[in-house]
Amino acid sequence: MIICSNCQHENVSGTLFCVECGTQLDGVETLTTKSVTQDQITDDLKDKSAAVEPPSSPANSWISLHLMDSGKILPLASRTEFTMGRLSEGQPIMPDIDLTPYQAYASGVSRLHAVIKRESEKTVVMDLGSSNGTYLNGRRLNPHTEEELKHGDVVALGKLKIQVLLRNV
Amino acid sequence: MPEPQSDYYSQLGVSRDASQEDIKRAYLEAAQKLHPDKNTAAGETELFLGVQQAYETLSNPKRRAQYDATLSPEEKINLPYEYKIIYSRPNLVQLDEPQMLYVILDLQTPLEARRIPSPPLNVCIVLDRSTSMKGEKMDMVKSAAVQILRNLRPQDILSVVAFSDRAEVIIPASYHQDRSRTEARIQMIQPSGGTEIFQGLEAGTKEVMRSHDAKRVNHIILLTDGQTYGDEQKCLELASKLNEHNIGISGMGIGEEWNDIFLDVLATRTGGSSAYIAHPQDIKKLLLKKFDALAQIYAEDVVLDTKELDGINLSYAFRLQPDPSPILMDEPALRLGQILQDTSTRVIFEYVIQPTAVKSDLAKILDGTLKVSISSKPLPTPPFRIHFQRSVSDNPETDTPPTEILQALSRLMLYRMQEKARAEIREGNLEAGTRQLQTLAANLLTQGERSLAQTIMLEVEHIQKQEGISDEGSKKIKYGTRALFLAPPKKELIS
Repeated sequence: MIICSNCQHENVSGTLFCVECGTQLDGVETLTTKSVTQDQITDDLKDKSAAVEPPSSPANSWISLHLMDSGKILPLASRTEFTMGRLSEGQPIMPDIDLTPYQAYASGVSRLHAVIKRESEKTVVMDLGSSNGTYLNGRRLNPHTEEELKHGDVVALGKLKIQVLLRNV
Repeated sequence: MPEPQSDYYSQLGVSRDASQEDIKRAYLEAAQKLHPDKNTAAGETELFLGVQQAYETLSNPKRRAQYDATLSPEEKINLPYEYKIIYSRPNLVQLDEPQMLYVILDLQTPLEARRIPSPPLNVCIVLDRSTSMKGEKMDMVKSAAVQILRNLRPQDILSVVAFSDRAEVIIPASYHQDRSRTEARIQMIQPSGGTEIFQGLEAGTKEVMRSHDAKRVNHIILLTDGQTYGDEQKCLELASKLNEHNIGISGMGIGEEWNDIFLDVLATRTGGSSAYIAHPQDIKKLLLKKFDALAQIYAEDVVLDTKELDGINLSYAFRLQPDPSPILMDEPALRLGQILQDTSTRVIFEYVIQPTAVKSDLAKILDGTLKVSISSKPLPTPPFRIHFQRSVSDNPETDTPPTEILQALSRLMLYRMQEKARAEIREGNLEAGTRQLQTLAANLLTQGERSLAQTIMLEVEHIQKQEGISDEGSKKIKYGTRALFLAPPKKELIS
């Protein structure tokens, strides 16, 4: 019997992919799960300086995340909703923003931790039931409850602190 | 071309260690087909006499022993196709619990046969002319039919039947030298009435049977956009009959209303498959592609006859290429479809192996007989005895499974997930079904299949709002995951 590391389903010995969640099972070289989002973000980062000013490019980004520990800035565009979390090998969970390169694991970021959304007038953050909680300016948020974000607010996913930089708001 | 002399065992399609019962059964089966009272093709009587002689020798233990002594052990049978077997692991393990084994069977046209002209066609297009086909759909079907007519080779036979709640033969089965009149007849088809597939299928069968010839590819293409009511059983019975005459059915469903489950069963009964046409614009492309494939057939009616083995349970079978489709497992004879000239036919089997089957050093997984019919060969191809077997060891091996197996399973896993989700939803377990669809979408994302993942997430929203899956979404997901088998992998597997 092989127990799936992702969903704990008990698979018959010799099974290669978990019948319940599709995860490739142990004892087998895993599939590459490098995420597209991660590639894009790291590419974006290459020529960005670590300034705390809201970045001017790309032109259509409506929000940037300033990772306070590393000083990196991630400008976000093209969507109005981003989930944040940590990608882990062989797991089907895909956050839009993978925080693995920023010590996410050591900081206690869940695989699917929180979401940032732009609504008509405002920008909100919501915890997605993470293990170590989401904090807004030091105050712990109730899970699955939206809280409005202002320019300069600091959101912490576990211990990973992120300053929110809103554009033209 | 003289066929190499084969020995008595291969003439009967049994192995050298076959029991007397096996031999008798194989003989009766061959006799049913080849007996001078029944056979049709030239040379079948001679073949029957060979079978007769083989049986007379092998059915008598004393004579059989004498004959066996004359056989050279390495005699290789000259097969008219090439085959390859790929196992998910090098050996099985002695275990007190069930274990899984995946096996790929790959059948290929031999190199020298790839350039011979493919057999002439005898095809009937059975098309739905019900009211719902009105407009773009009908126009596209007509234009596709005309195009097919123009592409026909002089030796090909084509017929066209249009049906609603009754059927009309638009073009009787014939060669088509003068095309202008035939084209005009196609253009005159007017949509009206309901959808009764049996009517169309029956008329189509008559047309194909009129010029039925074992040396041709005999086939029915059924195009519909609607559900048939009450005549499903009759259709399935007809399909079984068609199968006996080696006539295949390909189903093509347009839009969202048609019953994909029914069309799938109907087609797979004859070793064919169903396809989904989401947009009328695609009708022509897919229909022409289907015709191309028919003109490429090397062997048809590929059947794997399986014998039940103690402790071995075939839990799933799926054709990976050329036409990805589940294999119907309701009887021991598995219909694997056709072998095309330029694409190999690949089927993956999933076996659950019980502890009782791994008691000895060698576990027999499959004891089967592979039968094909090759139109370009005058004589029936003798059945071939095929085995899947693995040695049994004490320790599990740690080798990485072959890439072919991993690649196939990484897609099959997705297809089966949607199969499961749809089944849950059909039974009213919306929550379980949507959860599975969500997992499926996440898996698709990790494999780089963004657009299909999006389709699924939209459908999940629909399910949550409407408390049920939409016909359109359901088909998009099913045929979308099937199409993955043919696409090159977006993410490479590393080994």
